[in-house]
Amino acid sequence: MKSLRAIALILIFLLCGLFIYVAEDIPVFGDPEAPPIKSVKLFTMEVDQVVSLLDQHIVPEKLSRELVKRGFPPPSHIEKIPGIDGEWNAFIEKEEPHYAKEEKYYWIKKEGNNVSVSRYAFVVRWIEKGLKETAVPNMVTYGLADYRGYDTLGETTVIFTAGVSVILLLRRRSRL
Amino acid sequence: MKEKQKERNVVVETVARVMIPFIQLFALYVIIHGAGGPGGGFQGGVVFASAFILYVIAFNLAGGRERFPESANTIFSSLGLYIYAGIGLLAIIFSLGAAQYLNYGFIPFTSHFEENRALGMDFVEMGIGITVMAITASIFFDLAQKDGNGKEEEEEG
Repeated sequence: MKSLRAIALILIFLLCGLFIYVAEDIPVFGDPEAPPIKSVKLFTMEVDQVVSLLDQHIVPEKLSRELVKRGFPPPSHIEKIPGIDGEWNAFIEKEEPHYAKEEKYYWIKKEGNNVSVSRYAFVVRWIEKGLKETAVPNMVTYGLADYRGYDTLGETTVIFTAGVSVILLLRRRSRL
Repeated sequence: MKEKQKERNVVVETVARVMIPFIQLFALYVIIHGAGGPGGGFQGGVVFASAFILYVIAFNLAGGRERFPESANTIFSSLGLYIYAGIGLLAIIFSLGAAQYLNYGFIPFTSHFEENRALGMDFVEMGIGITVMAITASIFFDLAQKDGNGKEEEEEG
């Protein structure tokens, strides 16, 4: 028994060490530039003429073709990210069920001789538009009660059902 | 009853009597400030129910049931859900069917669409808080009651 306890203790210490390492390793909370939440890289293509077209705010034919080939909506117009050279935002047209307005969708970056095209993660829109759309500063709350309102209604119903079940099972002596 | 009165612990009872109002106030703070800081309906409701649990632990079960009777408990546990679903339905009613269910912006609390959304969220959080509080208290009371001695406890109360 004692050896078992010693092994359990060692395992607990190992787990604690692992958790401390993980807690040290995760990116800074709310860092919008953290790679997992900012964007998803789609593909890279060669520079020729693309950059000059992007600088003139014209959507390059080649870019649209590549995106449509991969099943993504083509961009409607291009804007330069202010203050940074060689990075652009591409917007897509409004698409009724998902986007009520024109939406910032692609992130284009020049990397040496290539141009890499990424799609912005939904989190970017969540962070940038949430306060404007709902006037609530806490992004967890507007996610919980507004964007995912149906989900929270279901969760509350689950809790209600649990309570009613306990009443039916344990409170036999009186009426509801 | 008399034997139980001898077991009373003055320290526990005094601390509970002082703490319960503050716990309830903190619970209301957590529910109301769900929009601005950490908090919300679920957490606040559980904190509020913990005040009832502290009362039962410090005093007795029958006294707790007297403070929060079964009828009120049952009403509250469904009232929160009714508030939530009703706020959702108000959006449809006030926009004459143009808005979706639970689209709070169309309820005319104020003149701004975004402010309406924020206020609708606050009311929804209150509904969640009421339901969670009542259900947690209800589950606690049901589990705490002894099955065979239910009638004796009723007589005590």
